[in-house]
Order: sequence, then structure tokens, then C-alpha cells
Amino acid sequence: MIHDYLSLSILLFCLGILGVISRRNVFTVFMSVELMLNAANLAFIALARLHENMDGHVLALLVMAVAAAEAALALAVVILLHKHTGKVDTNVFSLLKG
Amino acid sequence: MNCDIVYLLPLFTVTIGAILLMLLSAFESIRIEVASALSVGIFAVAFIVQLVPIGLNDVLPFVSLFNGMLAVNDFTRIASMIIIACGLFTAMSAISYFRQNNFGSLEFFSLMTFAVSGMMLLTMAQELITVFIALETASLSIYALVGYNRRNILSSEAVLKYLILGAFAGGFFTMGIALVYGALGDTGFAAIAATISRDGLLQNPALAGGLLFILFALFFKVTVFPFHSWVVDVYDGAPIPVTGFMATALKTAIIAVLANVLLLAADIRESWLDMLFYLTVFTLFAGNLIAIGQNSLKRMLAASGIVHTGYLLIALIAVSGDQFSGSVILYYLAAYAASTLGIFASLSYLSGTDEKRKEFNDFRGLAKVRPYSAAAITIFLLSMAGIPPTAGFMGKLYIIVTAYQSGQVVLAVLGIISSILSMWYYLRLIIAMYFHEADDLFETSGSRSAPVCAFILAICVLALSLYPVAI
Repeated sequence: MIHDYLSLSILLFCLGILGVISRRNVFTVFMSVELMLNAANLAFIALARLHENMDGHVLALLVMAVAAAEAALALAVVILLHKHTGKVDTNVFSLLKG
Repeated sequence: MNCDIVYLLPLFTVTIGAILLMLLSAFESIRIEVASALSVGIFAVAFIVQLVPIGLNDVLPFVSLFNGMLAVNDFTRIASMIIIACGLFTAMSAISYFRQNNFGSLEFFSLMTFAVSGMMLLTMAQELITVFIALETASLSIYALVGYNRRNILSSEAVLKYLILGAFAGGFFTMGIALVYGALGDTGFAAIAATISRDGLLQNPALAGGLLFILFALFFKVTVFPFHSWVVDVYDGAPIPVTGFMATALKTAIIAVLANVLLLAADIRESWLDMLFYLTVFTLFAGNLIAIGQNSLKRMLAASGIVHTGYLLIALIAVSGDQFSGSVILYYLAAYAASTLGIFASLSYLSGTDEKRKEFNDFRGLAKVRPYSAAAITIFLLSMAGIPPTAGFMGKLYIIVTAYQSGQVVLAVLGIISSILSMWYYLRLIIAMYFHEADDLFETSGSRSAPVCAFILAICVLALSLYPVAI
């Protein structure tokens, strides 16, 4: 049973990575990051059940709080981006070249 | 044991100060000079409190607090002091910067104080949940600081890049915690260390994979070779005081965590010694190659930060669990922080309105017009390049000697070669300042705080070189 949850978690995590790498829309990129964090959350909850302690639940709650703070900042950045360029794509920004 | 809270007084001072500053930001009548003075005061109090070893006696080098979630020892104390000092000097030089770049507000100082509190917690963390929370507290504040100049498109681009990549790394960090938790049912460093020394690291693939994810996320934050590409752009786009703050305080905090993680058990270092060796070598030389190609001063300093990370990695590889040479790492961090903060403090008042002076050529003839500023910058650059009698030289010497003593002769030799290569771009600025005629008046804002800051740091760089360290 635990294997199913962990497989789903890893699948979601890989989907998240794929989304960050391949998508250009800022919203999709940030949603993919959230997907990665939630994949970890699913793993925490499933593993808390496996180990029969509450650490995983606490971790999942804390990760959710951090993800919310990060999302608030990300939305502010999206607004900033839209003000400057009128678009919400990541590839319109190429002024800084490393 | 007496009350745990006593050990955390410096952290509480900074955190309460940050909340106080955030509340004060609601009043429009308070000027940013007041906020700057207030945050300098908070950092000064925290520094003094941290300096006094309250309750720490010689018998207990390692006090664990709150059921082993945090630990206080001399290593964390001094790392916290370096971080607080970084905050203090950044708050001082920011005021000169905001005279010429008109986007300062009170929240800047509040966010910076929050970042410092997150970093101090990070140095003390002995448990992965705490590391995660502290890391995100520091990172989220710094994201906001990087994009603080909302009207500047470069700043916005920098924060976008940093936020996407930082959140991506944060995802890996979280998954790493999940894997470690799955392997052990616990996230404390003590439990991880016990399991590794009992079973070995590679016999437990979930634990090894989790730790690898966590290491990679931390490597991203300190710009180790394959994860370094963001740093030049982000440092270039961020306001000058913020760049200096990120380069010093954040690096100190993350290196402290890396030291704590890598020293959990001897098996971690031994299993991944080859990987760490190649990452170090590539970090040293990739940083040098990027720095040589830059024309902008901020970008050069960002790339040279990669090289300094390489030196710290040499020290981390060279230390062994039973004889922890934390003092070498801390000495190098202090020397690097003093010289880097010094140069960014000088740039804060010399760069002019909207950071118009940013290239090497813009500083031609500085020594003719402002000889004292040029002398201070020269001291900082010589320290970063590792030329005696500066702190940077002693720091590099200690690291290379430690590496040699622990049998890492190849790393020691490569460290020396990389140090010679780095002269190229540090001396280039000194040549531009001293051997050209001035075609600029280098007018400044008139605020004395950043020049004073640079003066104090120049003295620190010279004084630190006299401070002996037991290797």
C-alpha cells in the first residue's frame, strides 16, 4: 500500500521537475514548483503512517506554510514582471547574461 | 541544565528587532535614517550578547537545546557573530546607497533583520525541519531584498531568476527530507549520525539519496560548480548593499549547515569524497574563468564569490570528524566577509546615482580624486586575492595547510594555482584606479556612514591577519 503512495509521490515530483524545465509561462512554472512540494507532502503523510509517528504530519503542515509564503512572493514577482513587460513569460527577460 | 532560552538571547534580540522594525514601517513619519540607526543598534546589541558566552562553560562545548533541535557551541556562536556583523555593516552602508538611489523604505531594514534571524537559526539547527524553516526564512527575505528596486527591470529579472531556481532547489530539499524521514522515521541529525555510523551510508539508499538531495540544494545556495549559473545574474541585478549581504551572510550560514551535515559521520565524507573533490576543483576554476571574462565590477565580484566557495569546500573536505577544524572555516569566512563587505560598502557610495559606475573603466583614476577610498578598496582586493599582510592571505594559508596536513595535496596545489589566477581580475581594478588619469569627479552623496563602514572594515581586514588560529 505504501508503495502506491510513494510511486504517486515520485511521479508528481518528476512532473513538477518537467514543468519547471519545459514551460515558459511563469504561472505554470510556479505551479510546477508547488507540485514538487506537494509530492513531498504526500510522501511525508504516507511515511508518517508507515512509521506510526506524527513527525511527518508536522512536516507537511510546515511545508504548506512555507509554500504559501513562497506563493505570495511569487505572485508579487509575476505582477512586477507584467508591469515591466506586459507579458508573463520567462523568456522575455534576457537583459542579464551570465 | 538551566533555561534553554538564555542561549538563544541573541536570536531573540534580532527577531524582536525585526518585528519592531516591521511595525514601525507603518508610520510614514519615520525616516529611513532612523530605521537604519535602529537596526544597527539591534545588531550591535545582539553582537555583544553573542560575544558573552552566557552559560557556556568549558566542560560543555556542545549544548543541545529544545530536545536536540538546536545546538549552541563556539562554532555556531562565532558564525552567528559574523552574520550579525554582516547585517550591521550592510545597514550602515545602505543608508549612503539610498541617498543616491531613491527607493529606500523602512521595510528594507526589517527584511534584512529577518534574514539575519533566519541565518542565525540556520547555524544552530540540528534537525532537518528546523533547517528547512530557517533556510526559507532567510531565502524569502532575500528574494524580496533582491527585487527591492521595483522600477528597475534588471532587479526584477534578477528576483525572477533567483525565485524560480531557489524554489526549485527548495523542492529538492523538501524531497530530500522526505527520503531521510522515510529511511529513519526521524529527522534529527543525531539519529542520522547514529544510523550511518551503525549501518554505513551506502547500505541505506533512501538515506543516501535524501542526503544527496539536501546537499545539492545547499550547494545551489552557496554556488558550487554545476549550480552556480544563477549567481552572476542575480548579484548583478540586486542593489549593491543587498549583493554584499547575500555574498557574505548567506554564504556563512549555509557553509555552517554544510559543515554540520558533512561532519555528521565520517562515512558521509568518505563515500562522496571523489564527488566533492571534483566539485571543488570545478568550482575553483569555473569561478576564475567566469570572473576573468567580466567587465562589470559586480559581476566580477559575484564570480569571485564562486572561487571563495571553492576554498571553503577545500576546508570542508580537509576537516575530519574527530578533529573538526571549524576555526579555519570560520576564519576564512570572517576574512572573506570583511573584505567583500568592505568593497560593497565602498561601491555603495562610489557607484553614484542609479549605480551608473559599474565597469572597471568607470573607476579609472579613482586614486587621484579619492585617495583614501582607493586605498581602502586596494586593501580589500589584496585580501580577496590573498596577498600578505591581509586576512585573506592568512585564511587561504590556513586552508591550504589544513588540506596538506589531511593528505589532500592535489587540492592544496590547485588552491594555490587558482589563487594566482585570481590576481588577474583583482589587480585589474587596482591598475585601473592607480595608473590612469581621472576623467570623473566621483561625487558622492555626502552621507558619511558607508565611508566610515569601509574604514572600519579595512582596519578589520588588517587586524584579523594578526589573529592566530589553531589549525
